[in-house]
Amino acid sequence: MSIFLSQIANGLMFGSLIALIAIGYTMVYGIITLINFAHGEIFMVGAYGGLATLTYWVPTAVVARWYFALPIALVAGALVSMLVAVAMERFAYRPLRNAPRLAPLITALGVSVALQEAVRVFYPGATAAIPFPPLFIQGAFVIPIGDGVVIRYTGILLIVVSLGLAFGLERFVERTRLGRAMRATSQDRDTARLMGIDPDRVIVLTFAIGGALAGVAGVLYGSYLNNINIDMGFQNGIFAFTAAVLGGIGNIRGAVVGGLVIGLVRALGGQYLPGGTAYDYVWIFVVLIIVLVFRPQGFFGESERVRA
Amino acid sequence: MSEVTSESASTTETAEAPVRTVPAAPPARHTGRLAGPLNALAPHAKIGMVVGGVLSIVGAYLAWSTFVLNEGAYPERATLTMFVEPFGVTGFRLHITLLGLATIVVALLRVPAKHRIVRGLGVGVTAVAVLNGLWITVEGGGLGAITASDGTVAFGSIVALVGGLVTVLSATAGGLEDKPVWEWKLAWWVEWILLLVVFVLILLLVAEVLTSGGQGGVVNPYAGVVFLSLLAALAGAFAALNASGLLTWVGEVSERHRVFSVVVLLLCALALPFTGAGTEYWMTVASNIGVYAATAIGLNIVVGLAGLLDLGYVAFLGIGAFVAANLSGAAASVIGIHVPFLLVMVISAVVAGIFGAIVGSPTLRVRGDYLAIVTLAFGEIFVRSAQNNIAGLTGGANAIPNIPQVALGSFQFNQSISLGPIQLPGGVMYYVAIVLLVAAVMLVFGNLKNSRLGRAWIAIREDEDAAAAMGIRTGPIKILAFLIGAMLAGFAGAFFAHKTAVVAYDSFRFLESVTLLAAVILGGMGTIPGAVLGASILFVLPEKLREFADYRLLLFGLALVLIMRFRPQGIIADKHRKAELAEDPEDAAKEAPGALPTEVK
Amino acid sequence: MSRTRKVATTAALLAGVLALSACSTNREEASSGGGGSCDTSKGTLVVGFVAPLSGSLSALGLGMKNSTDLAVNQANQACKVPGYRLALQAEDDQATAQIAGQAATKLASDPNVVGVIGTLNSSTAQTVAPILAQKKIVEISPANTNPALTQGDNYATAPARPNATYFRTATTDAIQGPFAAQFLVQKQGKKNIAVIDDGKTYGAGLADQFAAEAQKLGATIAARLKVGEKDTDFSGVITQIRGANPDAVYYGGEYPVAGPLSKQLADAGLNIPLMGGDGIVDSTYAQLGGREGDFATNVGAPPEQQPSAKAFIDAYAAAGYSEPYSAYGALTYDAANVLIDGLSKTVGNGTFSDASRDGLISAVQATNLQGATGAISFDQFGDTTNKVLTVYTVQGGKFTPLETGTYAAS
Repeated sequence: MSIFLSQIANGLMFGSLIALIAIGYTMVYGIITLINFAHGEIFMVGAYGGLATLTYWVPTAVVARWYFALPIALVAGALVSMLVAVAMERFAYRPLRNAPRLAPLITALGVSVALQEAVRVFYPGATAAIPFPPLFIQGAFVIPIGDGVVIRYTGILLIVVSLGLAFGLERFVERTRLGRAMRATSQDRDTARLMGIDPDRVIVLTFAIGGALAGVAGVLYGSYLNNINIDMGFQNGIFAFTAAVLGGIGNIRGAVVGGLVIGLVRALGGQYLPGGTAYDYVWIFVVLIIVLVFRPQGFFGESERVRA
Repeated sequence: MSEVTSESASTTETAEAPVRTVPAAPPARHTGRLAGPLNALAPHAKIGMVVGGVLSIVGAYLAWSTFVLNEGAYPERATLTMFVEPFGVTGFRLHITLLGLATIVVALLRVPAKHRIVRGLGVGVTAVAVLNGLWITVEGGGLGAITASDGTVAFGSIVALVGGLVTVLSATAGGLEDKPVWEWKLAWWVEWILLLVVFVLILLLVAEVLTSGGQGGVVNPYAGVVFLSLLAALAGAFAALNASGLLTWVGEVSERHRVFSVVVLLLCALALPFTGAGTEYWMTVASNIGVYAATAIGLNIVVGLAGLLDLGYVAFLGIGAFVAANLSGAAASVIGIHVPFLLVMVISAVVAGIFGAIVGSPTLRVRGDYLAIVTLAFGEIFVRSAQNNIAGLTGGANAIPNIPQVALGSFQFNQSISLGPIQLPGGVMYYVAIVLLVAAVMLVFGNLKNSRLGRAWIAIREDEDAAAAMGIRTGPIKILAFLIGAMLAGFAGAFFAHKTAVVAYDSFRFLESVTLLAAVILGGMGTIPGAVLGASILFVLPEKLREFADYRLLLFGLALVLIMRFRPQGIIADKHRKAELAEDPEDAAKEAPGALPTEVK
Repeated sequence: MSRTRKVATTAALLAGVLALSACSTNREEASSGGGGSCDTSKGTLVVGFVAPLSGSLSALGLGMKNSTDLAVNQANQACKVPGYRLALQAEDDQATAQIAGQAATKLASDPNVVGVIGTLNSSTAQTVAPILAQKKIVEISPANTNPALTQGDNYATAPARPNATYFRTATTDAIQGPFAAQFLVQKQGKKNIAVIDDGKTYGAGLADQFAAEAQKLGATIAARLKVGEKDTDFSGVITQIRGANPDAVYYGGEYPVAGPLSKQLADAGLNIPLMGGDGIVDSTYAQLGGREGDFATNVGAPPEQQPSAKAFIDAYAAAGYSEPYSAYGALTYDAANVLIDGLSKTVGNGTFSDASRDGLISAVQATNLQGATGAISFDQFGDTTNKVLTVYTVQGGKFTPLETGTYAAS
């Protein structure tokens, strides 16, 4: 029993991280129907941006106090990611806005490879994994069931921040003028333009928000696992995309639920399915294929939006 | 002179002539001419071109570097000064001399599209001068290396650069003509001889490009830049030839004698081992190119013809390779039987084809981007399973090593052959085999493309719903695309296993799928030679530029972005697709949800 | 700003740059460079090198390349091979077999290449070794651990050396794994051990050998699990281990995974030591999360007790490479020195030609050298006979030697 509960907790922590990345995927896809493959690398860049800030621009005395260091790193990571995401939109995707669908997708692959390599070549020491300072209370508390269910404080931070940001974002999209502009653009760009909305601005805003969330996720990831590497973006990015699809693409709540499901599939699949942890990723992809084949609109997608 | 010409002229001018200061005046007054100071040049264009040509040649004969670089002389006889040895220039300085001579000759003769041709030559000179000048500057530790230092002067690169720029500017100022169209028809045997000469020249050129700068490495530190410089000079020469309309004409001639051209091309490809590139090294590289070209052609069926994006395609190559490894009698394989190679190829192809059909089956329900993700998921599942040695078939992390060489009787394919006095390098038999394999695959592809099935694929690519309405059974036909594509990859995989002698899961990662896709796109989607050309470029460039290995993937990623931005149709554009890939402002309007399924192209 | 002014500014800037750098060159008046005061009249001999220099394994590959470079430079300074300048030619294999094959063929067709250091991955070695063997070019790998490379496909039953030109300074898993098991079970009294690996040749092989020996010595393998080589979140694996209540964890793999794994074990309340092989011995292990009291085995005696090892570490630091020498640095340095040593014996005061290659092979086979990792010589299969291993433990954030011993089968 305690193993089962522990795995559930593990799954939720990993899942909420994935959810945070998935939101960026789902928003971009919702608005310009582009699988932004490079979004995973935006997440990676955010982690390196946060780390660079802590390493090179913040005195060690400040880094040692998590209540200073954490907000600084989060803001820095979010800013770096946001800048990269906006630049990427401006220089790589916008010129292809009216090109056939394959072109931006391949561009996204190119951007992804280039970003990963740029960090590897130009960030000092990035050829190998780099230690990331702990930015939150260390240690864990134990729920006394059976052998005890261990829950790390950083994991709780991860869940709280992810769900909080997702909730706030959803309110933003539902309640504000800008949010309404985003929804309008995603439904019909030309009509939105007729209504006085500047689609370019909305698209930039979408990339900026998605990028910022990915940057936050990157810093949290580093703080949760204490090291970052240049490969972290690709793999987690794929999972996040899977989560976005699972939840129903274009749907923020769906992305969160999808992320949590991915986390649970990985944790429980690694525990109970044949092959164990060696095959835990395989189960994520199996779930992805099954969902795409049998319910391509995902959990929350409206069936008429199915574009697959 | 048309509007279009004037427009293209002014864009080129902005890109290549940073000297220009005044914006173009209204085109109405200056149709075909450039505005501003350049306009004043126009009456003197001929003199300008001749001066540019002369300056280029003078530049080539001046010293290029003030001292012999620390790593060794670059260029050869770097400090050779003007006319000490009239025929002493070699390498890129010879190229500049030739381009400069051509400039003068064309400028003085009455040649159609004269200015356009000269501009191509001038661009070549400029590129070669910039490239080598920069290289000497960087290697020499500063501009002193190409100007003056310690009492020696070496202004070769600067003079040549000025010559190139003057040529380009005067040619542009003279007004760029339209590309002429030649409609000569000669007796068939004359055309045959002409084609033969052209193809043999291409063969020699390929060999020259491959061997330019030597093999590189520490003994030969300038191999990379010598290679790039040759490419730049060739680019200039080709631009000039293309401007003269002769390339198009030769293309039309070879189109008239299609079968003859194909046969001669094949023979030329088989003759590569007899040229300077006939080393074991290039045979190995060429064999790998062949494997990837065959796989890329398979991918071209799926992506280029049927319009189904596959991001896990390298898995089929992997499946073919693992099947072949298991049937090769290698000690590490679980199935310890040895099956003859030809049979192995068939089995590999069939197994890969079956997997292709399985992977393709979601296409019945999933389309577009989502299909891309499903194929990516299959690819990842394959890599992960292979790494975990699923069912003991893949050797896991230990791979399946020591796969025996393909043998004909007692002759192993990696041995060298002596044909009378000529010694052919080891691995040449693999090269011959892969050339024949690729030729066969191209034949299959060409016939498929023009068959009923091929037209059905293209119809599905254009508009699946319309295709279905026309009575095309889209489901089975899409799966067939996956099946046939995967079979071609499986063939190549069997070959790969024996040539490489080891099959490991890490040869089939996601990045390899992206590379394959890049090969298809770079070469030109949906075209037959495109995939081969793309695979060749993606293999030859990193081999020739090994000293820049650290930036390989960075440049690769950026190249993908730039190709999509500036030439999405690839090097060899498919006639049919050319229309599709042109930007269509109405596309945005079609992005309403209902219309989306058809837009996957 | 008007266009004219813009141009003027640009021109001024350019002129300034030109003026600043006008006469600068890096002209050296030395002979053909690198040779120092040695006689290099007979030309250049090339030490080949094949490993991943781009992509995600480049950290290890670049460390190996620098270590080889160091050995080559030192040899040039010391005029090790009279009359010749040695030069390193490093080729990227992109960690895939087909590119490694191309790189090896390229090196093999250069008559100046005397030997090749590398590869990193066993799978690339499988294709490189036969190509080099055909041309009688010595290959010395500092990192391959697959026993089949030296003892043939039937290494367990009928060992037979496939390539007489292939040697390695890396110990096979068959020595390091059992040595660790003897330490952990017999000396530390751990009886219930969880074994984890990263699914790569090195890690999986090491973990298998460890588990086999530990069971032989009476310990229980509480769990046998795999993690992804790129993973960083191990909560699932740790939860599974936790149920089995182990008293130690053995990890077959490298430090980027081992460090965080150790930390996450502690976070989950498992305050048990983690032990690994030479792949986890790295200066950043503790920063990545490795805890006090974790163990690792490493090849050879500790550098502090061995001047040759100390010399390597100091020389590497002095040379100012931008990448750390990483897990295989010392072994690579030794491999390069073995090759250079053999070369200097073979060439003597004569010249090197294709006819010297047989002599070079026998010279390398007969190596007897004090290297950075200890005494180096090769057995009849080309494996190192260096069975001296040291157990390290993390103290004060650093791996400090605990005990040194020679492996003996139990």
